[in-house]
Amino acid sequence: MSIRIRLSFGIAARCERPYITDPGQGANGGLLLEGELMSGLLIFLIVIVLVVLFVVGIYNRIVGLNQRADQAYADIDVQLRQRHDLIPNLVETVKGYASHERGTLEEVIQARNGAVAAEGPAAQGVAEGVLNAALGKLFALAEAYPDLKANTNFLELQRQLSDVENKLAAARRFFNNAVQEFNTAIQQIPGNFVAPMGGFKQREFFEIPEGSRAEVSAAPSVKF
Amino acid sequence: MGSYGLATHIWNNNLKSILLLAGFPILLLLLNYGLNVGFVGLMRDDLTPGEGLSLAFQYMQQSWPFAFIGAAIWFLIAWVSYQSLINLSTGARGVTRDEEPELYNLLENLCISRGITTPRLSIIDSPAMNAFASGLSDRNYSITLTRGLVDALDHDEIEAVMGHELTHIRNRDVRLLMVAVIFVGIFSFIGELVFRNMFGTGVRVGGHSSSRKGDSRGGGVLILVAIALIALAYLLAMVIRFSLSQKREYLADAGSVELTKKPDAMISALQKISGHSTIDAPDEVRQMMIENSARFAGVFATHPPVEKRIAALETYAAGRAPSPAHSQVASGPWD
Repeated sequence: MSIRIRLSFGIAARCERPYITDPGQGANGGLLLEGELMSGLLIFLIVIVLVVLFVVGIYNRIVGLNQRADQAYADIDVQLRQRHDLIPNLVETVKGYASHERGTLEEVIQARNGAVAAEGPAAQGVAEGVLNAALGKLFALAEAYPDLKANTNFLELQRQLSDVENKLAAARRFFNNAVQEFNTAIQQIPGNFVAPMGGFKQREFFEIPEGSRAEVSAAPSVKF
Repeated sequence: MGSYGLATHIWNNNLKSILLLAGFPILLLLLNYGLNVGFVGLMRDDLTPGEGLSLAFQYMQQSWPFAFIGAAIWFLIAWVSYQSLINLSTGARGVTRDEEPELYNLLENLCISRGITTPRLSIIDSPAMNAFASGLSDRNYSITLTRGLVDALDHDEIEAVMGHELTHIRNRDVRLLMVAVIFVGIFSFIGELVFRNMFGTGVRVGGHSSSRKGDSRGGGVLILVAIALIALAYLLAMVIRFSLSQKREYLADAGSVELTKKPDAMISALQKISGHSTIDAPDEVRQMMIENSARFAGVFATHPPVEKRIAALETYAAGRAPSPAHSQVASGPWD
């Protein structure tokens, strides 16, 4: 198709001019140059358009991946909020049976408030880790109060917290996967030139330090 | 562009699907050319093979509209008749919300989360573990599970299987794969027609005096070329159809993870199902099952091997194949 255009442009150029305008240059010499210049310009424009389309495609892809990471993060937020909402109820229930264990209860409440206030994946990850440690102590201490353990409210809250924990784990992994994909896209070769245009920076992962929970699962489970 | 995550995996597979689908019209042209070559070979004994090939190519300019119109007519007829075949039940019972509240809720929650109309849920009373999606339009979409699957898989795994089938429905895979099957049908029909006539003509040609053979040498070669081209078109059509099917399976696995966010459940569901999925059903239905123990392995399988599917989930969806020590009982860290 481009060849045809070139020819037609060349012919059009040739037809527009009279036969000889500048005898010094030779009839065909000057006119052919005009046609080739037009076709050269056209090819150049086509290349520019293709490059622009390519860049737009890469940019949109990066935007898409960023949006997915945002959405995945929102899903985590939903689970975190649910978790934070369950805690006051839990603390009240335990207080009913173990009111003198103020230290642990205070710790849980403070950790929960800290987690609510935390912003950004990294800070939230740390805060949730602290909350995990506090919750671990709470449940460990509940082992010593058989009445508490048998309380239906307590059992229900325990079950709900576990359920949220599972959903949170799933949401976290999905988010981290989306973040990894986004980070890879803005670091690999076509993306790393385009990313600065939108001000895209590397995103943080959402990691909860696992050490705290390991202590709890190693705690002796006393079965009566 | 390589895949390095869930989104890129899905985009790449969709791109490959489009490219594969575009192969069908090209193969149609190839078939057309092959038929032209055969036609020239039969009718004209005076040409050398080279001349015959280029003459057949010239005929293409007139013949390709007929080829495409013929294919379109075939398509319409086959589409209408397939629709009734797919709607045929394989002994599936539609279940109401009351009969299987847990399953229904599971399906409904998945659909609500993405704004999809809940398809009909059916159960087959079979000990095999399998599931399939069917339906060509919003009115008759349905997901069918076997009793064996429902009994053997836990909550998360059933959710993963439902997510897989739901993704098939969302991606309109039943329709897509039906297009592929119909195309292959065209090629196989023409191929059989040609071969049967070929042997008929061959007998006639052989009956003539051998002096004819010297004259029709060009024609004979052309006929052989035609047969080769038609066979090639048929073969490639099958390759496209099976490649397409496998790509859609990868997409359905990935889509399931997108819906449920639980790649591990998908992996363990696949592990449990593999090897226990054999079920009696027409090929069109087996196409859409979650696992089809391939009669032919490799290129001509409708589903990729389970190991590859699990590997893809591990690579792109951050899945982890459960270790033997992993407890299957759904419990949390605070239990």
